[in-house]
Amino acid sequence: MTSEYVIEMNHIRKEFPGIVANDDITLQLKKGEIHALLGENGAGKSTLMSVLFGLYQPEAGTIKKDGKEVKINNPNDATALGIGMVHQHFKLVDVFTVMDNIILGAETTRMGFLQKKEAKKKVQELSDRYGLKVDVDAKIENITVGMQQRVEILKMLYRDNDILIFDEPTAVLTPQEIDELMEIMKGFAKEGKSILFITHKLNEIMAVADRVTVLHKGKYIGTVNTKDVTKQDLSTMMVGRPVQLEVKKEEAKPGDVVLSVENFTVPSKLHKNDAVKNISFNVRKGEIVCIAGIDGNGQTELIYGLSGLEKATRGKVVLCGKDISACSIKQKSEAGMSHIPEDRHKHGLVLDYTLEQNMVLQKYNEPQFQKGGFIRFDEVRKYAETLIDKYDVRSGQGPITVTRSMSGGNQQKAIIAREIDRDKPLIIAVQPTRGLDVGAIEYIHSQLVAERDKGKAVLLVSLELDEVMSLSDRILVMYEGEIVGELDPKKTDVNELGLYMSGAKRQERGAE
Amino acid sequence: MLRIDPKSGKQKWYRTDGAKSVFSALISILIGMLVGAVLIVIVGLTKAEISCGGIWDGIRLVFLGILSTGRNGSELSFGFNPVNLGNMLFRATPLIMTGMSVAVAFKTGLFNIGAPGQYLMGTAGTLSVGLALGNAGCPVMLAWLAAFLTGMILGALWGAIPGIFKAYLNINEVITCIMTNWISANLVTWWFDSHGVFKNSMEGGKIGYIIPLKNVGVVTPKMGMDVLFPGSQANGGFWIACLLAVAMYIMMTRTTFGYELRACGSNRHAAKYAGINDKKNIILSMMIAGALSAAGASLYYLAGNTEFFWSTYLSLPAEGFNGIPVALLASNNPIAVIFSGLFMSMLSICGTQLKSLTAYNEYVADIMIAIIVYLSAFSMFIKQMLNGAEKKKGGKK
Repeated sequence: MTSEYVIEMNHIRKEFPGIVANDDITLQLKKGEIHALLGENGAGKSTLMSVLFGLYQPEAGTIKKDGKEVKINNPNDATALGIGMVHQHFKLVDVFTVMDNIILGAETTRMGFLQKKEAKKKVQELSDRYGLKVDVDAKIENITVGMQQRVEILKMLYRDNDILIFDEPTAVLTPQEIDELMEIMKGFAKEGKSILFITHKLNEIMAVADRVTVLHKGKYIGTVNTKDVTKQDLSTMMVGRPVQLEVKKEEAKPGDVVLSVENFTVPSKLHKNDAVKNISFNVRKGEIVCIAGIDGNGQTELIYGLSGLEKATRGKVVLCGKDISACSIKQKSEAGMSHIPEDRHKHGLVLDYTLEQNMVLQKYNEPQFQKGGFIRFDEVRKYAETLIDKYDVRSGQGPITVTRSMSGGNQQKAIIAREIDRDKPLIIAVQPTRGLDVGAIEYIHSQLVAERDKGKAVLLVSLELDEVMSLSDRILVMYEGEIVGELDPKKTDVNELGLYMSGAKRQERGAE
Repeated sequence: MLRIDPKSGKQKWYRTDGAKSVFSALISILIGMLVGAVLIVIVGLTKAEISCGGIWDGIRLVFLGILSTGRNGSELSFGFNPVNLGNMLFRATPLIMTGMSVAVAFKTGLFNIGAPGQYLMGTAGTLSVGLALGNAGCPVMLAWLAAFLTGMILGALWGAIPGIFKAYLNINEVITCIMTNWISANLVTWWFDSHGVFKNSMEGGKIGYIIPLKNVGVVTPKMGMDVLFPGSQANGGFWIACLLAVAMYIMMTRTTFGYELRACGSNRHAAKYAGINDKKNIILSMMIAGALSAAGASLYYLAGNTEFFWSTYLSLPAEGFNGIPVALLASNNPIAVIFSGLFMSMLSICGTQLKSLTAYNEYVADIMIAIIVYLSAFSMFIKQMLNGAEKKKGGKK
């Protein structure tokens, strides 16, 4: 007689220096179910999965497979037990073909020679059976992110895994691709495969998962049947308090043009074509304009070009009536631009600096904070303390905390505090809520709306459709470096937006 | 800039990051010296001419060589030895400067392996200007200042070259530093070869040396060192090095300029994002590093009686490379560099004592330095072990 559960993780405890990442966590996965693992950042989801995958050894607790206790010392053990994982960041060799990536590490050989024909047959079979359309001979670097993900899934299937872990699989997909993925996952479950689905998106859980296990700050909160709960219940379990899921905002009252961009072109670092092709748009006072699009369609380069991190080859940028096309980063910033950068670790913070030092990253040279070239530490401290108070930035030691040791959400809050407090007419926010939990997202959204209501112009770049739909007053869709549509969030829906984002639909833009 | 928050006063001083850096450096030193002692024993046991007493002498000299006062009869005697201590300060001076050079560049995220080249440029500049002005009868103080500054400026310009390549072409500074090292070695040889006036042909027996600066009287004042350590080579150069170290410390931690430099060093992208001119700062940082390294050479040769072997195209000055371990051992803190520089020069004094008082040679000291250097590169690891031990202790409670 076998157990009801294919995988049981009982009372798992995993510590890291100074923190308990998993504290007595139990996760039971039934055969043929889709089981979601829900939790904020830092709740311990990834640690738990790493334990299951053999990357970490738990301090306490047991793992059972089909009722028998097993020891997973490394990922090879996990694979031998039929456990496969699609990582959030794909682990593919860019210059290899789809086929080569799938068989990599599990090659069929005869006398040391690769038997690609047999392998290819198997891949083709799997691909047909599950509707995972891939071009087996294409190189990874030339295929879409959605297809890359299908390659990752095929990798698991090729190794005959029947316990499939998906780590935030939808972050990089269009709505249409997400729907497809959900169908594929359901198909796997029907075939008797068991799926662990790590996410913080409640919609997706409601759509596919049978059961949900919720973690909060490393502790086990509970396991519930999806059909017995609402989204609001889940978010309360996850955050530990009731959360406002919808953004509350008044009608926008757009005023004068703050930023106008004309025929703007930015070269790409990856290929010979321009990443941003001759685009024009403007942002007015008191509105949130959102640039929507799938990752890698020129949004990053557009913002780099506007902020001065990269040089634009052509175009005119006017900010508050001043032509800033040829200005340095510093001049642009002083002309009235706040920038919440896409990558908070790369651009947003000097991680080895303390919180107070990061708070004055652009301001250290202002008379308030220096005298004759010497930093006025007391003023910096005072200023940092005000910001920490006002924007509720939490950290271990207050202003002297080294930012590297802070949680992602609080690092982002620190950046937002700094940028908003600079009080510039234009706020550029690039994926300001990426990787953050519901509580922090709620806070950041309300801050951006508050700034808009104060008459700031907000240019938002987001990959999250929910965010695009709920936060923006006007949507510009970017596809392959061009603006292919301007939409009103009240008159459109996620499906139409998805069609523009995937390039299936485009507007011919007239004069604005 | 580590300051203890009054709110988190629970943190004991020995748990602070700075204290752990010091502990890990001390542990490296201790292990290095113990290995040195073991070596002494092994060498002693395998060599017939060294007795048990000789081994004991060797071990004592490894640890206390700096306090050795020679032999009293057949017994080693120890006590205050002004010559040894003074010479330690004297030899530490260039090490402190090159160590600081490496440390300051490190803080800006650059690995200044070009210290030997900058040191040579400083040497050439100081000696040429010092000798030329001295011969011309220029007032001594003016000649001293001109010689010192010329050395620093040449070093700064030499350091700027890898900086420019790094900033504008993103060429790794290690490669350009190594290249400029050898270019400077040849350049300096050519300079002195073609300017015979600087060559010392007067003093008997020695060939290929430059005239020492004491011959023209352009010498760093003793500033009390002759009173403290009579008979040694110590001079005011050591005080100047300490002063520069304090100045560097203040610059790095207290000024907006230091803030910019360190921001560029720990995250160039974020610095750029904040509107800091990263290219300018990379070049400036290398110039400061070059100037410091060259100043080390200037202070060393302005001591007066030091002689420079000008045909240097086949070798680079060890003082330049030794700046790297000095900086590592000091965790790149300019103040700590003073102590790690002193320690390194103490070891070499111990080596000479070993050679003159026992049958051992001075290379045991070099091996110890090598081991300590090796371990100091592991100081991060030792620091982590300290953290781990602390955690275990906490867990048992």
